[in-house]
Amino acid sequence: MKDNYLWDRSGEPDPEVKELEEILGPLRYQPRPLEIPRDIRVDRRRSFFPAMAIAAALVLFAVVLGLWFSFNRRQAAPLNQARDSRTDQNASARPPQVAPDNQASPATVAVSSPKPMAIQKRESPRNLLARNMGRGTRTQIRQPGLTPEELAEKEQVLVALRMVSAKLNLAQRKTQGVPQLNPIRNQHKIG
Amino acid sequence: MLEAQATADMLLMAQPFSAPEAVEQPLEVALVKAVLDGERDRFARLYEMYAPLVHGILLARVPRGEVDDLVQDIFLHALRKLHTLRDAAAFGPWIAMIARNRAMDFYRGSRETVEVTEQMAIERPPNRTAREILDLICRLPEAYRETLVLRFVEGMTGPEIAARTGLTPASVRVNLHRGMKLLREKIGAVARP
Repeated sequence: MKDNYLWDRSGEPDPEVKELEEILGPLRYQPRPLEIPRDIRVDRRRSFFPAMAIAAALVLFAVVLGLWFSFNRRQAAPLNQARDSRTDQNASARPPQVAPDNQASPATVAVSSPKPMAIQKRESPRNLLARNMGRGTRTQIRQPGLTPEELAEKEQVLVALRMVSAKLNLAQRKTQGVPQLNPIRNQHKIG
Repeated sequence: MLEAQATADMLLMAQPFSAPEAVEQPLEVALVKAVLDGERDRFARLYEMYAPLVHGILLARVPRGEVDDLVQDIFLHALRKLHTLRDAAAFGPWIAMIARNRAMDFYRGSRETVEVTEQMAIERPPNRTAREILDLICRLPEAYRETLVLRFVEGMTGPEIAARTGLTPASVRVNLHRGMKLLREKIGAVARP
């Protein structure tokens, strides 16, 4: 076929193609030696594979570490909440008490933790004092290294400080001439 | 429509072939590797193998007087940039692309250019010298002229062109046949008074 001759010079030669080959043949590439100047430097192939592999491994490690931390934190959060609620229940069930003398474990003391302050209305110092006294033992802070006697003394000091604070507040109100809050209630109490 | 049918026919006619360069492919890979390892002399072999391809690509694009110097320049450039070649087996398509880009740069850089028009070609006497045929080929679309020059000037077969340029054999076959058809028309137009 003539088409085959154009494609790969097989088959019956196409006269037109043959003629074109003969006409254009003299323009063919004439071999010339390649003169390579000495100053041409052939750079070595730069393989970025090891560097890329190390970088990818580091990134992967960081991602896995991050995931592990976040997973652990998520798991720890419900456990802490459960522990806190359990502690609250125990604390409200039992009155604050001092551990026995011979107890070797780290002593625990019931310390009233401050509530989130959202007081809208000012109350009388006595009420505040009563509330603080009655404020239970929300959290138990572990204080290692204190003996039961020391803890009891500490508790007394704290109560005394609260009373002093309340009295100072009362005195300040009186000196500033601020009317007492809820006088009827006070009168009723006095009466 | 007829053209599409002809293309389909040609694609169907495309038969499996064994390209001679398929045997040489490992040689190219070995040569590129050797050059990169410091054996610069091995590049001469690559030059021998691919100089006709580069010559043909340039001949289809730039004035003939510039081609030989450009071939040397392109190979020296390729030697400098050989480390950027990712796939050593693709040396042919790679250097063909360098040659095409260099031909474009040639026209970008040259200020004094004379645009050869269709009318000028027709005005020439109808004796079919090599120059005139080459001029006619150079007025064909780029894909056709490159394939035709490689076929008629450099004497490569279709499978060889496909293997060296990285084009598919079917594309080369289509380019050859369509290019030949257009060339016939142009030669006929020139031959007619």
